[in-house]
Amino acid sequence: MTITAVEKADNRPTLLRREKIERVLAYGLLLAAAVWLLWNLVAAPVQFANVTLGGIRTGAIYALVALGYTLVYGIIELINFAHGDLFMLGSVFSALILVNFFGAGTGSPKDWALMILTLVIVMAMCAGMNVAAEFIGYRRLRRAPKLAPLITAVGISFIFQWLGIVLNGSAPKSWPKVIPNGGIHFGNVILDYSTIVVIAVTLPLLALMTYLVQQTRQGKAMRATAQDQDAARLMGINVNRTISFTFGLGGAMAGAAGLLYLETFGTTRYDAGFQLGLMAFTAAVLGGIGNLKGAVVGGFIIGVIQAWNDGLPHGLGQQWSQSVVFTILILLMVFKPEGLYGKPTVEKV
Amino acid sequence: MSTDVVTDVMPLTASNITVRFGGLVAVNDVSFTVPPASIVSLIGPNGAGKTTFFNVLTGLYRPTTGSVHLNGRNITGQTPHKIASLGLGRTFQNIRLFGLMTAAENVMVGMHSHTTSNIVQIVARTRHQRREEVESRAFAQEMLDFVGIGRHADEYARNLSYGDQRRLEVARALALRPKVLLLDEPTAGMNPQESAVFVDFVRRVRDEQGVSILLIEHDMSVVMRASERITVLDQGEKIAEGGPEDIRNNPRVVEAYLGRTGTEGSAR
Amino acid sequence: MAVSTPDTIVQGGKGGAPKSPNRRWAMGFLIAAIVTYLFYAFVVPNLGAAGKTFVSTWIPAVATNEALVWVICAVGLNIVVGYAGLLDLGFVAFWAIGGYTAGWIMSTFIQAVNPGFYLASAAYPDQPGIHINWWLVLIIAACLCAFAGVLIGAPTLRLKSDYLALVTLAFGEIIPQVFLNADKFTNGARGIAPLDNVSPLPFGPSAITIGDVKIPISQPLGPFDTSAKFLLFAIVAAFAIFVSLRIREGRLGRAWLAIREDELAASMMGVPLMRTKLAAYAVGAFMGGMGGVVYAIHTNSVFPDRFTFSISILLLAMIVLGGMGNVWGVMIGALGLAWFNSTGLPQFGFWFNGQFGTEINFPSYSFLILGAILVLMMLFRREGLFPETRTRQILREAERSDAEELDGGEV
Repeated sequence: MTITAVEKADNRPTLLRREKIERVLAYGLLLAAAVWLLWNLVAAPVQFANVTLGGIRTGAIYALVALGYTLVYGIIELINFAHGDLFMLGSVFSALILVNFFGAGTGSPKDWALMILTLVIVMAMCAGMNVAAEFIGYRRLRRAPKLAPLITAVGISFIFQWLGIVLNGSAPKSWPKVIPNGGIHFGNVILDYSTIVVIAVTLPLLALMTYLVQQTRQGKAMRATAQDQDAARLMGINVNRTISFTFGLGGAMAGAAGLLYLETFGTTRYDAGFQLGLMAFTAAVLGGIGNLKGAVVGGFIIGVIQAWNDGLPHGLGQQWSQSVVFTILILLMVFKPEGLYGKPTVEKV
Repeated sequence: MSTDVVTDVMPLTASNITVRFGGLVAVNDVSFTVPPASIVSLIGPNGAGKTTFFNVLTGLYRPTTGSVHLNGRNITGQTPHKIASLGLGRTFQNIRLFGLMTAAENVMVGMHSHTTSNIVQIVARTRHQRREEVESRAFAQEMLDFVGIGRHADEYARNLSYGDQRRLEVARALALRPKVLLLDEPTAGMNPQESAVFVDFVRRVRDEQGVSILLIEHDMSVVMRASERITVLDQGEKIAEGGPEDIRNNPRVVEAYLGRTGTEGSAR
Repeated sequence: MAVSTPDTIVQGGKGGAPKSPNRRWAMGFLIAAIVTYLFYAFVVPNLGAAGKTFVSTWIPAVATNEALVWVICAVGLNIVVGYAGLLDLGFVAFWAIGGYTAGWIMSTFIQAVNPGFYLASAAYPDQPGIHINWWLVLIIAACLCAFAGVLIGAPTLRLKSDYLALVTLAFGEIIPQVFLNADKFTNGARGIAPLDNVSPLPFGPSAITIGDVKIPISQPLGPFDTSAKFLLFAIVAAFAIFVSLRIREGRLGRAWLAIREDELAASMMGVPLMRTKLAAYAVGAFMGGMGGVVYAIHTNSVFPDRFTFSISILLLAMIVLGGMGNVWGVMIGALGLAWFNSTGLPQFGFWFNGQFGTEINFPSYSFLILGAILVLMMLFRREGLFPETRTRQILREAERSDAEELDGGEV
């Protein structure tokens, strides 16, 4: 349970000092990071640009997945552990439908149309799966101690991974991509076609989500339920349906991310969800878990950070990326759990 | 720090406590002492700031300004468990027992800060640890007998009757060997007969354990009968303090209560 | 489960009665261990061909030894999750730290130490590297892990349960990755192998023979002395179980249970939350370290890719299945699931495919089974197959609505 202690309003010098130290360290860290970035930029500007573009592309995918985490956490305070694996299933579904079923190749207008059709289908499928998962796994445990739905989520995550093994095998598979390789050249800086497509898909989806959440009745119901479930129920909101709707929305985002992942990297693997899920979750926490804008911003930031670490000449390299992002997660949760856009609530233990 | 004689002698002293949540002032410059071996009450309409004040005393909240002294020692802003171990026990308005533990075990938890066995001693079952265990269990039985539920010592707390659960909460708080015991609406849900019995019980606690008791109560009959001194809060401010007769006839107090139209307020 | 009195965490009860249920189980465990050892060491070699084949396919000694490793770690995790109620999803990190500690001070890995440093070791003489007696390594690794547990726990145990779960998961991913990448210190993906031989005692006769039964004393046990190593592993497991049972009694066990029930009330009754939670973490990590060393000895190697998230989850499943907080239930869950994972499922697959001519890849179903166990247990039997006595006596619907009566919304 959360107890809100008196926030800024205390005047004990010891606490202020600790806060000051934390702030100084944080700014120092950011400054060091900025210096390192500058160093890289000067050393290899073209590489910097390309890497950053790649980061934006990954970041968009993270943003979509992060939205799913943040939506679900916002409404029932549950970390949907299985969300990353839902994304993986999205990529697997996309591959099976687009390539196997529709037989899409590369680049022809028919293929693009098929890809869009697949996008819609996969989004619906993932939305359905997420709704089913909530209904089967989490609904009964809404009043149970927090440990229980968390463990259930882990269990569902493993079930999804099994499904991935069944559909995709235990080894990664390669697939032909509708989006052609290569991109638009600006000197030596390449704007991949896949990046353009990813952004072109992500932005409208984000706009659609924003519209849904802010302008429609369902969206209002979502926000009300997120703030106070019982009050929302008293206002006549069908809480169960609203929660299902939220899960569906998050699932749809994950499905879209799955297709984009397939079209960007051309591979599917049953364990892709675990890694990427944690990255996206970090993004959600960075932005402020429960805050939609934060999830998107966090997604891009994490995507770019990962790309920088992977690809820049003075980065630690790909084998450290996970550790870097997870360290960020740990630091966030310990020092600034509300992230960039969340409200600070202090928990007194 | 303070050379005030009162602070040194009084078991509990709260000085100029102000609590601000953002822009809302929940408690405004309230000062308060609990004399030794006494029963005092804190009353006020809903939303008056009683619980907030309580939570400052027990260390759950840090006051914006002001200080709290327990037996002359400054405990402002200390952690709740430290304050509890220094001699401030409490019960809860909505009973918070450890349901899956027996009555005896509940009380023995209260003794945690008075026992010292560490991991190695526990695993090795040293003589010191075994002695502590036996003494703890005996003391728990003593407390349970004192509050009148000694025969339920090995019952799970959640199986006890409501009245017994209330007594168990007191026994558990007494295990801290407190100087001051804070009781948060202890007679909620009791009928007049049960409340009367509880008043006698509280008096017995004061007399036989030498503990000062601070009550938050809504039941006026309990307040009037049990308290030696009553403090009234309204909208975060102390508006009256005195014996039962003074408070009963105080027009400001009457107005504060009768002037209210709201029902159960959530913030206090 | 024979334990029925609620006196479990109060020593002596009212009259000072001894802990007979626990003592009975401890004797049972010891007897079971000895019987198993005798079975593998002396009965199996004398079985007919059919018997030997059955044993080696369905209950190979290697699997039994491995199962003991899981028991040690599961019992450790049970202290964190079952006793104190803290969800730790990164327990594999301690497994890794324990394993690499063994890799460093129980092998020829540290070539720089030349001539080798020997301390009551059963390793081959005249080799570079650090060679410390494995019992000491066990203690050193366990203490190191306990320290690591405190380091990890200190900043993170303040967090609420779901955040804590994620942070522990993050640590569980970072630490193995560090081991993988720190080539110079850990040999990276190539791992460390082989490790030293171990022996029951560093001194004394090579072995004692009682009738037909030959029990090794100071004879070095290599990678193939499976049945003898079983005894050693069983001793470590027994120690873990013993500590686990003892620590539940007494003030620390009560404090953990109180924290699990109602953290706020516990703190207001004088229980220091951080310190108590850290204690749970440290003890759990201690056992994880022991398990890591034992596993390293069992496989005679340390490879970074072994320390996956699935291990943490499998451990969790063992506890969930067995009964959170109940040491014996956890032990049974650990033995059962470990056997199932390593032997039961694959062998069943072979048999099934052989019988029905199918080609189903059964081991791939382990994900499904693991996931289903977690989900079904949470939905239908949250307290586990062998719940703690106190949980069993309470109605199963101990949900938050009930707890809210105890909880109270005002504070």
